[in-house]
Amino acid sequence: MSELWTVQHSYLIPLLPLIGAAIAGFFGARWLRGGSHWPIWLGVGASAVLSIVLLLQTVALLGQGSHAGTDPAHPPLGAANPSVSAPVKLFTWIAAGDPSKAGTNQYFVADAAFFFDPLTVTMLCVVCGIGFLICVFAAGYMRGEEGYWRFFAYLGLFIFMMCCLVMGDNLIMLYLGWEGVGLCSYLLIGYYYQKPSARDAAKKAFLVNRIGDFGFGVGIMLAFAAFGTVSYFGADGYGGTNGLLEAAAHPETLSEFQRQVLWWLPFLLMLGAFGKSAQFPLYVWLPDAMEGPTPVSALIHAATMVTAGVYMIARCGTLFVGNDAALMTVAFIGSFTALLAASIALRQFDLKKVFAYSTISQLGFMFVGVGVLAPVAGVFHLVTHAFFKALLFLSSGVVMHAMLGHLDMRQMSGLKAVLPKTRWLMLIGCLALAGVVPFAGFWSKDEIVAAAWHASPLLGAVMLLTALLTAYYTFRLYFRVFEGPRVVPDTPHPDHHGSHEHGDSSGGAGSGHGGHHSHEPAIMILPLVFLAIGSVIAGVVLWQGHRLGHFLGHSPSFVTAGELATATFNPKAADEHHLVNPLGFGLHDTRPAELQQAEQRSHYVFMLLSTVIALAGIAVAYTLHLRDRPKADRLALRLSGIARAIENKYWVDELYQASIVEPLRRLGQAFYAMDRFVVDGLVWLAGFIPQLGGFILKLTTQRGYLQGYALSMVLGVAVILFVVFL
Amino acid sequence: MSVLAAASEVAWTAGSPLRGFVIVLLCALAAIGTVWALPGRRDPGWRVFGGTLLLVAGGILAALLTRWALASSGQKPGLSYVYFWVFAAVALAGSVRVITHPKPVYSALYFVLTTVATAGLFLLMWAEFMAAALVLIYAGAIVVTYVFVIMLAAEASGSDGGSGASAGLPDHDACARAPRLAPIVGFLTLGLLLFLIFERPPAALSKNPWGTASDGIATGHTQQLGVFLFRYHFVNIQLAGLLLTLAMIGAIMIARKRIVQSESSSRQVALAESPYDVEIPVVLGPPPKIEDNPHTIPVVGTMNPRQKAYPEN
Amino acid sequence: MTSTLDQVGLQHYLAVGAIMFAIGLIGFISRRNLILMFLCTELMFQGVVINLVAFGGFVGFFAGLAFTIFVVVLAGAVASLAVGLIVLLFRHKATLDADAWRELRG
Repeated sequence: MSELWTVQHSYLIPLLPLIGAAIAGFFGARWLRGGSHWPIWLGVGASAVLSIVLLLQTVALLGQGSHAGTDPAHPPLGAANPSVSAPVKLFTWIAAGDPSKAGTNQYFVADAAFFFDPLTVTMLCVVCGIGFLICVFAAGYMRGEEGYWRFFAYLGLFIFMMCCLVMGDNLIMLYLGWEGVGLCSYLLIGYYYQKPSARDAAKKAFLVNRIGDFGFGVGIMLAFAAFGTVSYFGADGYGGTNGLLEAAAHPETLSEFQRQVLWWLPFLLMLGAFGKSAQFPLYVWLPDAMEGPTPVSALIHAATMVTAGVYMIARCGTLFVGNDAALMTVAFIGSFTALLAASIALRQFDLKKVFAYSTISQLGFMFVGVGVLAPVAGVFHLVTHAFFKALLFLSSGVVMHAMLGHLDMRQMSGLKAVLPKTRWLMLIGCLALAGVVPFAGFWSKDEIVAAAWHASPLLGAVMLLTALLTAYYTFRLYFRVFEGPRVVPDTPHPDHHGSHEHGDSSGGAGSGHGGHHSHEPAIMILPLVFLAIGSVIAGVVLWQGHRLGHFLGHSPSFVTAGELATATFNPKAADEHHLVNPLGFGLHDTRPAELQQAEQRSHYVFMLLSTVIALAGIAVAYTLHLRDRPKADRLALRLSGIARAIENKYWVDELYQASIVEPLRRLGQAFYAMDRFVVDGLVWLAGFIPQLGGFILKLTTQRGYLQGYALSMVLGVAVILFVVFL
Repeated sequence: MSVLAAASEVAWTAGSPLRGFVIVLLCALAAIGTVWALPGRRDPGWRVFGGTLLLVAGGILAALLTRWALASSGQKPGLSYVYFWVFAAVALAGSVRVITHPKPVYSALYFVLTTVATAGLFLLMWAEFMAAALVLIYAGAIVVTYVFVIMLAAEASGSDGGSGASAGLPDHDACARAPRLAPIVGFLTLGLLLFLIFERPPAALSKNPWGTASDGIATGHTQQLGVFLFRYHFVNIQLAGLLLTLAMIGAIMIARKRIVQSESSSRQVALAESPYDVEIPVVLGPPPKIEDNPHTIPVVGTMNPRQKAYPEN
Repeated sequence: MTSTLDQVGLQHYLAVGAIMFAIGLIGFISRRNLILMFLCTELMFQGVVINLVAFGGFVGFFAGLAFTIFVVVLAGAVASLAVGLIVLLFRHKATLDADAWRELRG
């Protein structure tokens, strides 16, 4: 894979958005102004093109490999799974310790290096491709906003950091990107920093993420202490034993300490993933993060950044699959979060809040996927979710744009007349999210549900219930907003930003409308069309013949994880139905043929079942929110206790406030008092005593007599003589 | 001589000629003597008494050192030993008079005496070039300059300048300041130095305390000294010459500055508080302007019409 | 003539130098005449010079003497500048009293 020119010039992929961000950041305020999106468009667009070329080249390479039997550079490990990967070292970033002890924890080295494999390529296409579409949309959406250049500079920086995250060859690079996207998220949530709620939300996101990142950081340190490396597969790429994942893949060669560490490591990494991907109990920041501009919600808080946790677990799957406690934790936390968030979404009235909880819920699905030994399904859902959730967020952005900042679905209705294009786009997104055949969400969700059922029927049932709720709340929103009698709020929302109505276009591409204001400018609709196409076809295209699975199965991460999982769990399996499904890792299925066929049949049953469930949810939503809306209110009145609990998000925020924030605040106040009176007092005293002494000496000895100074000097000399020589 | 002989028979057990307490006692005695001997508003008898105390202290020191030298070498004193004590006594007595005499001119002359006696000490150490240089530079150049300045800066005499030698002198000459603290601090330092010299001699010193001045080198050979200087300290010699030149230029520049005292009438002369029960005249008001442009300062005795003589003031 | 004590010990000279230095010090602190103060500095210089010459002679190295020369040169430079300064100060206040210059009092 390293012979590909895109891999050899892969530094361009993160660099171009960074350059764009630098140009927008340094020259935007003064010179570019309304044209600040151009450097970002060019940079991210070029990266997107490079990523897609890389994807095509990798696919072509795999085709050659399967024809030739083996990839000459990388001999096969699995029967039919030659892994395809390439490490690209740019420079040594950090090196500390004794170089002669390389490979032990006496020598720390973190290269600025990339690691390319199908997983990286997939993620890159999501990040850069969808990122580019959202950047295009943002130019229309943000037109005329104050700090336009700042927004685009942050976006470029975000894409750079996200590329570092997914391309990194080691955990330190991953951590760099991880913290970098966290920073960008903070900056962009707090984009409207004049608004106190935006500031608070930004701080909340930052602080909650710190809790997770603390665990992640400790995990990285522990991994280095035990294995002497932080690189996934070592500097020489996959094939040796000097990488972290390669070492973990052979548990029989590990020392007792390393085994202990290996047991704890997934839990620490998981903490970081839960923080970044907004899983229980660290999910509370994501709904508040909707204070940011809508393209940010789409890009960072739906499509890319929040999926970093899923990516991390998929990438480090080898560390997880040997530890069923960790896997079970991931799966159950994921399913619990999915159900919890979906139930909260039932009674939210803010469009973006609904989608925020939906995102949390869908991320829960992905965690279930990686937790039940089906990371392919998790990544599959990640990809399709990126399409349709970005579509949904951006569509609600169009709604918000047209409704002058209003997002409350109680204040609007029947918008299909006002926003005809958006209505169709939103419908596609909703169908995909609800999991209606043949839209993208259906295929990926179904894979996860099937894998969850295979692992534990309880898990599968929870997933199906969540799918029902998902379909309901999605179409509740759709029917409320786009169908029914036309109600349009006529006064702008007090928080409404920007000056979209002013026709004095500052040079954006969508400025052709001149004086009259269009609700659906082409610059905003066009990216949505692409996302909608993706939401329709991505699922079936990637699902058909396990296309994505076989592609990802060539990733060393998946190969090692799959082999380790097989080696760990198969000897313990009660019967052949409990064997590990290699397809979950995209590997060649070596199980008996009749078993495969039975599984295939049960899979089809699941497809049918989840279609029925999705349609049922839609039907309920239709009944309650289109045909007979007062009935929904009556129902809510009858179940007022539950409705209130849900509306208040189960008082989780209040609980955190009371149990964590307030005690910490008290502690802080106590420390402040201590600092103010004890420490400051000492410091003040330390300053006051010389002052007092100086005052006294000034009045007594410093009388201005020349010889007085000589006298004290001689006295000093005498003292020095005494001290030194006697 | 019998005293000396008796002293030499005493076994001098320790190598130290002066015990710590002896040093303390001698310094205390000398300090008291100095306090009384310094110029002040006392009866002249006190000053004589103070001088006597100083003499006694010096004598005791000389006797102790002599006894130690005789005891540890076991020999009779030679002529140069006697010369040493004569020169040392003259030098030290002269320096005491420098600081105790109320009249600056006499102090300067006593300083000449001290310098000459010191030159004698140098001769004893076979450093005849240094002796000559000392007399030339100090006695010849520096002191003469000071005496000139003393003569030029003739001051109005104080009205109650004391009695005896200090009668008719300005107050700052007639009265020393800090007359008690200064001797205490000075003799504290001296005590420490003597203790270092005699009780804690450096290793090189105690190894060969009787190494003679003529042992190591023929110190007196001025020619060799010159060769040494110009071979090993050539640049330093040049630098020393440069320093002297610069100092000369600087002194001229400083002394040429002209004080413009146009509004001397507006500046009051106040009487500052003084710890000596006398009133020190202190000129208050804005500081006088300093005219230090060398091209506008007139120089006496020139034919240049742009330059005028100092105005008489 | 080994039977007579013809040479004087190094410590004798050091003692004389120290005493002269101390006397100069006392004079510098206690006398109030500016000229006398500088005379006392010269006295201290002389004490140091005795020290240096004695060490040079007894330890047996010309460096002591060479250093003496530099000290004497320095003393000369100091003296010339001091005299200039004294003249300037005298012109300011028409007195040689050091206590007249008390602008630095606290």
